[in-house]
Order: sequence, then structure tokens, then C-alpha cells
Amino acid sequence: MRYKKFLLFVFAWVFIWASGSEGAAPIESLIPKRDLPREWTLIHGPQTYNKKTLFEHINGQAELYLKYGFRQSVFAIYQDKKKAENQIEVDIYDMGNVVQAFGVFSRFRNEDRPGGFGLDSYLDDHSALFYKGQHFVLFYATESNPDILKLFGKLLSSRISDSTPPPKEISFFPKHGLKPGSIQYFPEGLLGHQFLKRGFQGTYVDGEKEHHLFLAIFKDSQEAANALKAYKEDLSKKGKVLSGGSIPFEARALKGEDPYQGKVITLQKGFFLLGAVGFQNDDDAENRLKEFSEKVK
Amino acid sequence: MLSEKMGRRKFMRHISSAFLGVVGSHFWSGLPLADAEKKPVLEYRILGKTGLKVTAVSMGVMNCSDPAVLLRAFDLGINFYDTADCYMRGRNEEMVGKAFEGKRQKVFIQTKVHAHEEKKMRASVERSLRRLRTDYIDVLVWHNLSSPEEVSDPKLFEFMSKMKKEGKVRFVGFSAHSRMASLLREAVKSNLHDVALVSYNFTHSKDMKEAVAIAAKSEIGIVAMKTQAGGYKREKMGGLSPHQAALKYVLMDQNVGCAVPGVTTIEQIEECAAVMGTSFSKKNLDELKQYQSFLQGRICTMCGGCIGACPFGVPRSDLLRVVMYHEGYENDSLVRESLQKVSREDIQRCSECPSCSIACRRGLDMKAQIQLAKQILS
Repeated sequence: MRYKKFLLFVFAWVFIWASGSEGAAPIESLIPKRDLPREWTLIHGPQTYNKKTLFEHINGQAELYLKYGFRQSVFAIYQDKKKAENQIEVDIYDMGNVVQAFGVFSRFRNEDRPGGFGLDSYLDDHSALFYKGQHFVLFYATESNPDILKLFGKLLSSRISDSTPPPKEISFFPKHGLKPGSIQYFPEGLLGHQFLKRGFQGTYVDGEKEHHLFLAIFKDSQEAANALKAYKEDLSKKGKVLSGGSIPFEARALKGEDPYQGKVITLQKGFFLLGAVGFQNDDDAENRLKEFSEKVK
Repeated sequence: MLSEKMGRRKFMRHISSAFLGVVGSHFWSGLPLADAEKKPVLEYRILGKTGLKVTAVSMGVMNCSDPAVLLRAFDLGINFYDTADCYMRGRNEEMVGKAFEGKRQKVFIQTKVHAHEEKKMRASVERSLRRLRTDYIDVLVWHNLSSPEEVSDPKLFEFMSKMKKEGKVRFVGFSAHSRMASLLREAVKSNLHDVALVSYNFTHSKDMKEAVAIAAKSEIGIVAMKTQAGGYKREKMGGLSPHQAALKYVLMDQNVGCAVPGVTTIEQIEECAAVMGTSFSKKNLDELKQYQSFLQGRICTMCGGCIGACPFGVPRSDLLRVVMYHEGYENDSLVRESLQKVSREDIQRCSECPSCSIACRRGLDMKAQIQLAKQILS
């Protein structure tokens, strides 16, 4: 028995050590210098940036990354040996965790065009992006080059050995009617409200109209209850708080009209607030929210 | 308010000398809810030679999380919005276009283009027009120029002139994040720009203030960005909320056409809008002083410039790192990781030590840092 415990202890330490050493690997080691797509070569970098120097690389846009927990990044340029103007720039951002990496990815992806690498990806003629583990990766090609972008995407994805799964919250969103690639994560200001803090939002399509489901995440149930109260106060000042049309599946709920989001139903489940905004049909929204609520754990 | 004795000139000198130097990180803090029912007193200014009558408090859209924030800003009367082709790979412009569809005549939109060959720049402008759902851009600025040569580059101006002639763009300018004073002076000389989008806040030097004045005199419309100089979460600043004060400081300079604070929420734009029509008070000055000291010396930046060593061998850098991860990065996993390297005994020994023999050349209060580390550990 003691021996088994000892073995478990050793395994646990080996695991912790292995995870730690992987996280400690310098970010520039993710930039491949060999085994590149044929005719391509590294011509610049790897150049690393931290929280203080990111502005030097991407100017004011660094603010967005900082909001998403940016820790460090590495930049490099590859070139086609046969055609010098044909270049691919790559930025790998360490965002601290998979939720934040997904968050930045979700803000930069503007439609659902998966490229087949990373945990999720986007690919077009001139750019590719993906996230995997705590990393967000962005490629830009000076010439139209989706095939090479795809090769680079797969190559870099294979070099990030982090096997963390996608944020579990993504799976809470009901699939039916969900606009592909529309789920986004916001580190603050969900629906534009300070009191809703951080959370996820997905877009649903009903005919030509769109509405959203959202999931606001709080520290504890008291904070979630406070946010619900703040939302009610906000609606009573600027919009409408509606009574009736009871939501049978939860007691702590709010129904109303937000002046900028349209109709809203929101309810508290533990340390979450989940809701629907901008919908036309109350019954449909309530049903979708019910399904959403059942999945939220 | 200011005493008569102090006088405006002395007051201005006092402020200028107090706030030279540091620009912090660029987080917005948590702000108190503004009173939604209070409509701001709108203050309009003329944006240099463009003649555009813009609200003194305008809006930087870059980090905006939801179109609702733009609609709230519009309802508050704010009429000038700054976005860029590259923000979120164009999604930011899309959000602006969608939010202001049907309201286009009532707002002024400023967006950006990067210096490339003409074909690429033209394509960029066309994409911006599509995303913004409009057939004209009010102000198009070159994104992030960094040298005087770029500011007076005739090739760039040739392209801008074409865009103007074609009716795609009404006014042109440039944006800069560094070397701004010299770039503004060059812009005055070249006389090619209608607008300059520059980082301008209470931490900037007297030289910058003078350059802004010279540019404004030449009727270059000054759009001030990064007006808040960053900051940390309000609760971590002892309840201090210096953001209105920071904005007021910038607007106190009448050479500024408008400020475009970057906001993410409805509450933030309400708080910013409320600054219009108010004056800069002694209380605001005190807030900025506190803010400045917070930005300057609260957190160890691991610059390696410590003077002296601990005679008891306490690993001070590990302790300071714990504070940095907690206060600066706000990253709990890094805090936990760092805490494994320090013992309670070390912290105890440190906090009980009558005189720390280590000094920081940036003036960081070592004893306060150790106390913070102790709090984090507990």
C-alpha cells in the first residue's frame, strides 16, 4: 500500500515537472527553422516581445492583447526562395491560458472558414489564424497563398504540444441555429456592460434575424446575483423590466427590454448568468435558453 | 478649486513638471456606474482646418466589445469615432458600419491605412468603405508614422490627394505613437496633413505640449489618444479612479480638437462623456499625482537595478516577482508558481527586518512590497 502511494507520488511529481518544463520552454522555440515547406526559408526572427514591448510591434492594437492576458509573443518572417516578395509573417502569442487564447482568436476570426489545424482555425487567401492551448497564432501572406498558409498552420500547430481541450463553455451553447464560428469570449464588458464582466456570446440565426445567447461568468454566486440586480436596475433606468411570461426553469431571472440589445431574458445559475438578447419570439428564446441552462454546469 | 495665489500659469507649470515621463500599461480600470439619466453637457471644438465640429470627448472604438457601446455614445451626443482597418482584422470597422447604418450623416468616422504600394493602399481603403457601409471616410490617417521623412513623404500625400479627389476621403492625416513632438513639427513644415492622431496625456513632456500648440496654430486638428495613460483595476488603486481627471487634463489644453479615449463598455463612455463641460479641479490634480506615483513606483519591473543585498539571504527577487504577478499581471497561476519558491519564514524575516538594505533606483518602496507579498501569501 505504501509502495503504491509512493509510486503515485512519484508519478504526480513527474507529471507536474513535465507540464512545468513544457510551459517553461522559450516561445521562440516554437518558430521552426528546419523542415519547412519546400522552397521556404526563415529570413527574419525569431523576435520576441513582452508586455512592455508589444506596442513596438503592433502599435495600439497591443491593448486588445493585454486585455486578453497577453504574456509574450514571437514574430518571424518566412520567404519563398524563388520569389522574394512572396513572404509569410507569423506571430505566436502566449495568452496565458486556453480561454484567453480562444478569446483573441474569436475576436479576430470574422467568419467560419476552418483551415484544419489547431483547436480551431480560420484560413483565407492572405491570412490564417488558430489557437491551441494557451497560444494564438496569426499568419499573414503578402501574396495570395492559402495552400502554403495551411502547411505552415499545420506545422506550427504540431510544434505546440499543449493538449488542453477547448474551453468547456463553448460546448454549453445549443447547436441548433448557432451561426458557425460565432462564439466569442470577452474578458470584460460582455454585451457592452461593465457589470456583466467576462463571458461568452454566441449568435443564433432565425430566418433573416439574429439574436444572441450569452454566458457571463462570475467569481461566485453572490457576484452573479449582484450582476443580475445591476442589470435589473440598468433596465429599469434605460429600458423596461417586464413582468409575466414566467420562466419556469429558474427562480432568479429577469425579463425586459434593453435599449441597445432588444428583448432580454437572463437567469442566474450558480456563478453564471445566462441569457438571450435581441430575439423576436419569446417562446423560442425561452426554449433555447432552457436547453442552454441544462447544459451549463 | 485653485487659489487666486497659485494662478493659472503657475498651476499649469506645476502640472507639467509633476507629470513628466512615465506611460503605464494600457488597461482600462473598472469604473463606477455613471448616472444614466444625466445627459452630458456637450462641448464642441473645431478640428483644425477640417472645420469639423466634433465633440471634445469622442470615442476610440478599438477595444469596444459590443455595438451597444457605440449606440450609447451616439445617444449621448458623441459624434467622432476612431477605428482602423487592422483592428481585429477589420471586424472593428464592421461593427462601426453596422452600428451607424442610417446615422452616417450624423457622425464623423476616422479610420486608417498602412503605407504600402498604391494598389494595396487603394484596396485597403475600398475594404474600409465596404466594412463601414459608407461611400466616404471623414478622416483617413496613415497608421503609425515614426519618422519625419514619412510625415512629409510626397508619395504618400499623392495617394491621399487622389483619395480626396475621388471623394472617398474628406480629410487626411497621420497617427504616431512615438517621437510625436518631432513628427508634429515636421507636419507643420510639410503642410500636408489636416489631422494628427497622437498619444497625449498627463505623463507627457512640456516639449510635446508645445508641439501640440504649434501644430494647432497651423490648423492641424489634434486628436488625442491614450488620454488615460493606462492604469490598473480601481480596487487595486485604493479606490482611486483617476480617469475623468486624466481626460480633463487633456481637454484643458484648448489646442486639442478632441480626445478619443478607448472604451469598452457603456459605463466607461458615460463616465468619459460626463467630463465635457466640467473644469479641472485641485482634487483632479491630486488624483493625477496619486495615479502618477502608482504608475511609477508600485510594482517591480525586474529591471535588475536593485542596489545592495539582503544580509540574511532572503530571495527578494522571488518576493517581488510574486507581487508583480499578482498586482501587475493579475495571473494567479504565476503567483502560485512563484510562491513555491519562497517560504513563509523568508517573508516573516523580511517584514520584521528593521531596515532593508536593498534599495530600488526607481524609488520602489521595498517594505511596502514585502507587506504586499505577505498579504498575498496569507
